[in-house]
Amino acid sequence: MNLTRLHAKVLPSLLGGTSRHPLPGDLIRPSNSDGTLEMFTLMGQALRFERPSTPESFIVEPEIKDERKIIANSLRRPLIRLLNAKNATEHLPRALARAFDRLRLRPHPFDLPLIDAFVRSNAEKLGPIAQHWADRQKPEAETRSYFEPELLDESNWTQPTLSRRSAYLEHRRREDADAARALVESTWAQEEAEARYRLLQVFQTGLSMSDQTFLNTLEKDRAPRVRALATRFLARLGASSESPALAACLERIKQSQSGLLRKRTTLQIELPANVKDQAASRWILQTFADVSFGELGGALKVAEKELIAAAAKDEPLLLALALIATNERRLDLLELVVAGLPNAWERMFEAGLDTLGTMTESERQRWEEIVVHPYRKDVPTTYALWDWLHRITDTEAPASVMEIALHAKVLTKVLEHERGSGPWVEMMAAICLASQRQKLREQLTKFDQSQTVTPLALLEILDGMENDLTHV
Amino acid sequence: MTFERIEALAPDQASLAAARKLLKPSYWPALAEGEGLAWGECQGSGATPYRVVINEADAGYKCTCPSRKFPCKHALALMWMRADTPAAFAATTVPDWVKDWLSRRRGTSTSPSKTDDEAKPKTRPSIRLTEILEAEADADPKAEQRAAATRERNRLEREAAVLAGLEDLDTWLSDQVQQGMANFVAQAAQGCRTIAQRLVDAKAPGLAGRLDTLPTRLFTLPGPARPSAAIRELGQVHLISQAYRRASDLPELLAADARQAVGWSVTREALLNDSEALRVNAKWRVFAVLSEAQPDRLRRIETWLWRQSSADGMPQCALLIDFVPISTGAAVGNYLVGDQIEAELSFYRSTIPLRAQINTLKTGAEQSREPLMLPDEPLSASYANYEHALAQLPWLGTIPLSFRAASVRRNGEQLYIYDDESGMSLPMHTSQANHALPLAGPDRIDGIGLWNGYEFTLAWAETQLGRWMRS
Repeated sequence: MNLTRLHAKVLPSLLGGTSRHPLPGDLIRPSNSDGTLEMFTLMGQALRFERPSTPESFIVEPEIKDERKIIANSLRRPLIRLLNAKNATEHLPRALARAFDRLRLRPHPFDLPLIDAFVRSNAEKLGPIAQHWADRQKPEAETRSYFEPELLDESNWTQPTLSRRSAYLEHRRREDADAARALVESTWAQEEAEARYRLLQVFQTGLSMSDQTFLNTLEKDRAPRVRALATRFLARLGASSESPALAACLERIKQSQSGLLRKRTTLQIELPANVKDQAASRWILQTFADVSFGELGGALKVAEKELIAAAAKDEPLLLALALIATNERRLDLLELVVAGLPNAWERMFEAGLDTLGTMTESERQRWEEIVVHPYRKDVPTTYALWDWLHRITDTEAPASVMEIALHAKVLTKVLEHERGSGPWVEMMAAICLASQRQKLREQLTKFDQSQTVTPLALLEILDGMENDLTHV
Repeated sequence: MTFERIEALAPDQASLAAARKLLKPSYWPALAEGEGLAWGECQGSGATPYRVVINEADAGYKCTCPSRKFPCKHALALMWMRADTPAAFAATTVPDWVKDWLSRRRGTSTSPSKTDDEAKPKTRPSIRLTEILEAEADADPKAEQRAAATRERNRLEREAAVLAGLEDLDTWLSDQVQQGMANFVAQAAQGCRTIAQRLVDAKAPGLAGRLDTLPTRLFTLPGPARPSAAIRELGQVHLISQAYRRASDLPELLAADARQAVGWSVTREALLNDSEALRVNAKWRVFAVLSEAQPDRLRRIETWLWRQSSADGMPQCALLIDFVPISTGAAVGNYLVGDQIEAELSFYRSTIPLRAQINTLKTGAEQSREPLMLPDEPLSASYANYEHALAQLPWLGTIPLSFRAASVRRNGEQLYIYDDESGMSLPMHTSQANHALPLAGPDRIDGIGLWNGYEFTLAWAETQLGRWMRS
């Protein structure tokens, strides 16, 4: 009996049951009472010898060019171990992702499944292959080809990760705002909502009346946040019929004159009666988030710097100005505001500021210096404050800030006052610049060894990423 | 001893964290080493320090603490200190309590300091066997005769019970065939449980286990493939039962296979003492370690070895199987993927020798960067060898298949190992859909994996981007 006959005559009976579909009589030896089971076994063995079928076609895997070097082999295991460590804080992956981006390195492709959560959260900083991995379960229509050229120009700026595209556009806006806008307009229809929002944010740089036509078209964008941002820009340009945000601010600002010999303008916020002290900072953030120094000064008929002087005696208004300066990336103005509001760090944290917008890394570091320096003599040892600072700046602490923290022996104070100082130590390791790691290591020797395992591992890996020459 | 090995041995992260706290030298009033062993005394909360010893050759360990985790934090800490600060261990003679532990170990190893005579392959008996041997030495001949007669009577009783159980199995199989495999799949869990219990009562644990786990194996397959898989699996069960009853007509090795498949086990001691058992002395490389929790609360740990040195006509690979209680938390054996050992293995008698025990360990496990010495054969040739083996041993289970110049391809979510030359492909295990995905593409790879007749579990691959190993 051949295989074809077995399949045709025997298999249907065995699948459906021989009581309903008896086996053909000629296939079973009558002398053998066990014939049915023999046939069953024979069929089973025949099936075991059938070779698995090959699909008619296979998916053609996209070829993704990634010019970054793969991290050295010696760092792969420690990296996987660290990223999968139990109870580790998010400071560790954040610091690692930054290092990958800064050093133009990428994880080994074989490790991507083992650090999947890290890759998904930080795909933009890990190169095109990692980004493709993170997008693998997205519908095909939402994915795009990933290519990360070393140098960007007008012909290839759409190919790399969104963060690099934003940075390139920012650069172009500084050089030639109109040409940059033309670039965006040419690809706008193909961009997804997140990309449209991030690219539009860049228009803050070099915003001018020539952007008005383009911004007008965005008032009907599908994404509400894109529409809101476009409306805000139009209001700044004075092109919008009215700015509800500005009106809401002016409603609460009391303008008066003071001084005997020389009259000076003074400004003060009158908080709504239902806003209690603790909620005041949040109310200020919500109310002043969408106005600019220019709009406010224009409406109050006061120059930008005079605005700060006029608010000098009103802490809530200074906070509002600090938030506006941050939002507008006007670090020169922020510095003036912080001179009158030395606890701006704590006040902005209370307000719930959660982004520094499109600030570049150097701007974020400068911003951090401005808000931390007034604390030089008495650096706070509240974990939530430092945690927020790292989260919002997403960068290493500037050398001067880290120097303040190390000199003030923040960690030692923490050790004395707080139990469970693990997150503290991890955060300090994550924000520490390479040049200050040795000093940090010295301070870490005072801690229980079990609390410094992951921070020291992070420092080792970062050292390895920066100095190992065996990246491939 | 490396941190990777210690981490792999740790039953959980908590044990590792607890061990980390014991790394201070103040906890260890005594630390010493000698003859490939390291030992120490760790001051716990009690008055008497815990005594801890580790064997560096095979990562064996023993601690006198009452912890139910294996290895406990003290053993892990000692391993860790050994890896981190070997200078802290004073070289000295092995104390009696360490020698005592060594003599009781089931594993066998030779230490570097042993003389040639001592290093000759020999079997170190287990505690139980030692007791038996001592008892035997003291026993009088009449008592021995009575014991032998009792053993023979028990054997005959078991043979009869097994045969009765196989009769019931035939009846049950006939019922399933009458009702059809489509119907069987729908009720497989209950049906298999009942007959498995009957076979346990009939002292045929091998067949019982095979039937007990059958529903689980079926449900890992796609729905449409299950009825035909049930024919294959139940067909094998019937084949084993028939072979067992006709063992006297079969070649000796196939008869031994049938007895083992039914459940007549050969103890480790019996195998190691069997002078006719196939023994292969070679360098072996661990290419896969599989761990699976069983319904009987034991974890089955399979260590797959590939022969790295020449031994013509001898098995190319071997399988070590260990069982550990799930409650201990241990998920790996003593060896890690990539380890290389030099050892003499004793193979259980079989038409296709695969399962083995370490008879003599000549060198301890060491991670090696060398590639596997794979034959220069494509996947199709390996598969042909599998078919040949299947013809010799019809109930052959999982077997390694090596390949050269194959690629990993994708069809939907399913990955395949694909032989470009012959066009042959094997579906890869669904659990690897994510981990092996970075391999997908046209690049040719060499490697080895485990084929269970349905799915291919890729274990090891040499690629342009370096070595990929199943995690």
